[in-house]
Amino acid sequence: MERHHNSVTKTPLDRVQRRSKSKSYRQSLRSCLGATCLTPALTTRRLNISRRAPKSHNITKVNPEQLALMVKTEWQLSYVTPLYQFRHTQLKSYSRQLSAFIAAEKQQGLAVEVEGSHGSFRVSFSVVQGMSEAADDAETVLIQIHLKRLFSRQDEPAKVVWSGLLTCINGSPDYLRSLPKDFTCLPLLCSSGAEGLTSAVKSWFQQTFDCYFGQLEISHTSLQWMIALWTNCQTESAIQFLKMIWTLPVVPPLKVTYTVNGQDAWELWSSVRKDPQKEGNGEDEDENSIDIEEVMRFMQGLKSHFYRHFRLDLSAGKLDQVSTALGSAKCSGMIKISNSKYMISTLTLLTECALLKMPI
Amino acid sequence: MAASFNRSGPSDLETSSVNDQSVSSRSSNRSVRVAEKERRKNEAEDPVVLALKYFNDVEAGTPVNGNDEVEKQLVLVEKVGYSRGLSPDAISVMLEFAMSLRMGTTLCPRVLKCLIPATTVPQEAVVRAVVWLGVGKIPATTQVLFVKWVLTVFDMIDEKDQLRAIYGFIFNFVTDENLCPFICHLLYLLTRKESVRVFRVRKLLELQSKLGRQPFLLHLLSLYKVFCPELVTLSIPSRMRSGFKNHTSPWKSALLFVQKRNGSQVSSNVSLAVTVKDKTSTRKRKHHHLELPKLSSVVNKPAQTETSSSRKLVPLTQLHSFAQLLENMHRIELPSQMGSLLGSSMALHYLDCVQDESALLRLNFWLGYSLHEEFLFCSDGGASQYSEEVLQFLNRLLSTQHFLQEGFSSSEAFLYKFLTVWDGALYRPEILGLLSNIPVIPSSQIGRLLFEPLMQLFFTSSLFFKCGLIECLNNMLLKWLTWHSVYALEDDLDISLHSHTSINMTLSGFKDSVMELVLFVGRLASVGLQLEGCHSVLLSFVLDFYETACDTFLKYGLPLVLLPPSGVFYPALLASDPVSVDRLAYIMYRYKANLTSAKNQEKVTEQAFHISRQTFREFNSYIAVMANYLWNSRVFHPGMGVQLEKELLLKSNVPEYWTSFDLIHHPAFMSYAIDFHRKCWPGRKDMDLNSIKLSKPWGWYLEYLFTQGFDGLKLFFQGNVRQQKAQGDGQGDSTPTQAR
Repeated sequence: MERHHNSVTKTPLDRVQRRSKSKSYRQSLRSCLGATCLTPALTTRRLNISRRAPKSHNITKVNPEQLALMVKTEWQLSYVTPLYQFRHTQLKSYSRQLSAFIAAEKQQGLAVEVEGSHGSFRVSFSVVQGMSEAADDAETVLIQIHLKRLFSRQDEPAKVVWSGLLTCINGSPDYLRSLPKDFTCLPLLCSSGAEGLTSAVKSWFQQTFDCYFGQLEISHTSLQWMIALWTNCQTESAIQFLKMIWTLPVVPPLKVTYTVNGQDAWELWSSVRKDPQKEGNGEDEDENSIDIEEVMRFMQGLKSHFYRHFRLDLSAGKLDQVSTALGSAKCSGMIKISNSKYMISTLTLLTECALLKMPI
Repeated sequence: MAASFNRSGPSDLETSSVNDQSVSSRSSNRSVRVAEKERRKNEAEDPVVLALKYFNDVEAGTPVNGNDEVEKQLVLVEKVGYSRGLSPDAISVMLEFAMSLRMGTTLCPRVLKCLIPATTVPQEAVVRAVVWLGVGKIPATTQVLFVKWVLTVFDMIDEKDQLRAIYGFIFNFVTDENLCPFICHLLYLLTRKESVRVFRVRKLLELQSKLGRQPFLLHLLSLYKVFCPELVTLSIPSRMRSGFKNHTSPWKSALLFVQKRNGSQVSSNVSLAVTVKDKTSTRKRKHHHLELPKLSSVVNKPAQTETSSSRKLVPLTQLHSFAQLLENMHRIELPSQMGSLLGSSMALHYLDCVQDESALLRLNFWLGYSLHEEFLFCSDGGASQYSEEVLQFLNRLLSTQHFLQEGFSSSEAFLYKFLTVWDGALYRPEILGLLSNIPVIPSSQIGRLLFEPLMQLFFTSSLFFKCGLIECLNNMLLKWLTWHSVYALEDDLDISLHSHTSINMTLSGFKDSVMELVLFVGRLASVGLQLEGCHSVLLSFVLDFYETACDTFLKYGLPLVLLPPSGVFYPALLASDPVSVDRLAYIMYRYKANLTSAKNQEKVTEQAFHISRQTFREFNSYIAVMANYLWNSRVFHPGMGVQLEKELLLKSNVPEYWTSFDLIHHPAFMSYAIDFHRKCWPGRKDMDLNSIKLSKPWGWYLEYLFTQGFDGLKLFFQGNVRQQKAQGDGQGDSTPTQAR
């Protein structure tokens, strides 16, 4: 009783400040992270409901060779938890380590089984300069694996068999700032190449930077966003066509491929856009923002058009794939960006999706 | 051979029985002697042992046709082979039997097909069989079958040195047209640098000119070229179709089946860590994000190490005992993957001391990722299926949290999301266990994050789940209160060191959260008891909860007293089992102790907490009700919690209804009253329970009840009821003493 007595008398009722380092009236570090980044994570981390319209970016800063690679490849997407002790200055050493790791995996015969595996892999890490948009974004890293065949001729160049892009474009500054500085957040991995190499690269990253990879699907809503963002570009560079593939849940499943002429899609899109005059005095920034409501109205327009002709309501179905001349995206997490001008806005959306997958 | 056979049967049984025991952990219960006896009995009777004995001893030239004995025995061996796999010794016996052609060539393929190894294949057996390949007159198809078998089980052959020693002997079979592709594959697996010789290269090239550019020859030659490029001048196409053809088909599925079946047993045996087993276990599940990372040290040392090199860091992997851990406590290097700490108990001791925010964040990232992937992101519904692996993972997580005495923030974040999609059945004990480890939630969030999903689950689930959830919430409350009592008291040792991560929860904030929790359980329990017809099991869990809740002030130093709602109080008071009534009495006794001590403190110090008059009034009325019901036979008295119209009561035709819940007529105590009556007046034929009400027997009756273990009633009685000598009829009347 004595002790309770003391504690009660000494404690002001409403303000108890205790901050002893080792033990105190606070939750210990293991469980307390909650209050710093978890609580906002639980409440505010949603897909943005409004985003800036993609401006045509002439990405001049990026090395054209790297840019060409990014544009011509179809990427498989994954999300990555923040990398611990990743240094952009150590890329050379990482190249060496990953090469050695893959060689060791190959020796075990476990992870890497690429066709004609008689040969040696060489890995190169490089920074893609000029990609990052916001100040909090970490620089994008490009990883390439070259295969030098054992019995190839001397002059035969090593072939790129795998490439991966670790990137963060316009990542949520709140989230990025909440991480201690030991962590580098590159939440989006775009990879292309043999499955075996992908898993080898992933497990090396896991072991080296204590980060973890998961599959990143592109959700229904994100696909709809893609449609809207791409269609919005029509005046600057023609999308030529807007193709959507839907699956309808009937037995047997019905697959619907719905293609709209680019110009028609644009006209529908401009009809659902809010009148910028009404919004205010037409400031450029405001004009360029797109709302989720507009996206939904656009989709509704497309669906009702389809219904008028085929008596089939697409809202019951699932959007699997969308493509235009600017790029294509599948719900399984495959993406191809065909026009570098709008790459940034697509990657911004994907970064956002990846950040949503972060466990804390 | 005979000697090795004699060991074969028993050792097979031994390993399997040991495995069985280790799996079910029944071994401790079983006396060694009984097990030994059983083993002997099995040894003598086990038909498989007898069958193996038969094949070992059977004489050469025994006819096969019309021989029922051999058929019977072979069927037995086949059955074991296809279901459990054969022990190493059994494989020796059967291989020897088949390859020696003791009973002709007809049985040979059949025996080979059932040679599914349970664990390993002894090298000697393979070597002997290869020798038979040279000696016997085995048909070509059977020879091929044998080499295919060796290729299939190659990874399971315990050692390969002797096989490598007879490389030259094996090489000779290359010239056999039928065997050549398979022998090349086997050689490919056995080849080392010293095996590459000029004459062998020449032989292969010669074969190639005869057979054409066959892929199997090219593969072997390309390997030779890797080892000794100077010997092989042949140009090998840079693109070759990968590997040898898969020759493993006859056994593959059976082998997989047996390995899958034995998988758990073998993996429980640590010494038998064959790499093949690891492969099958990963193959079994498509997602293996629930595997704990391996404990390994960091490769990329941070750049600052040069400055701190005076303090040499010791990787955790190098420590093997607790003493070493203590010695190196100040200079331990964290592993490259924090998740690996969960794998070793020693590492957990260290984890308990880790203060590094980044390290704990890494651990949380890993854990959160694993849980999310397994339960939330699995698109193929993998999470909705029960799996041993997930169970193990959750149990490890639980025991870790138990050890550290707190939950991880990532598992907390995961639970908030998972509760909204949980069906209440999947891994119920584990999920509820994790839930009870949740740290205190701010009262502004607690409803949305915790109560809403839990309420839905509670009202839509079975009685069993309801009990489980109440127990879980009781544990949660206990942990919160314990946490408070530990850390609040250490306030006196306050050293003002600022840490930017420290979360200060104010006392009033904490009080609000606890209050929300207790009130929430009150609501759940009231409705739950009603839904389940005041089920006594549920009631017992609810009373467990209030046993924690009634002592918040005295036991845990939290200035908060919250009474149970009447939806809990009355079902307990009117319960048909005496235990519930007794426990309620105990709980009310503790409430009184807490309230009076709080009251006293309020008098001594001005700053003490304030308990509202409402609480005291409510408590007093509860006490009055209990005393009136149990002691004073004044049920349904006007002014008390439960009231009924007089006409209605008269209509019910219950005689002397006002006595029906006193300690004599209360359904829970009636049997005690009868028992007491018999003991008190053994001669009396007619039972008149009302005679107990008389002053003297009433006192005895109470004494009697207290000796039956109703301590709660005793404490309650001693604390609250003042015996009053009544005039007139001599009946004892008691009035409750009121707390004010």
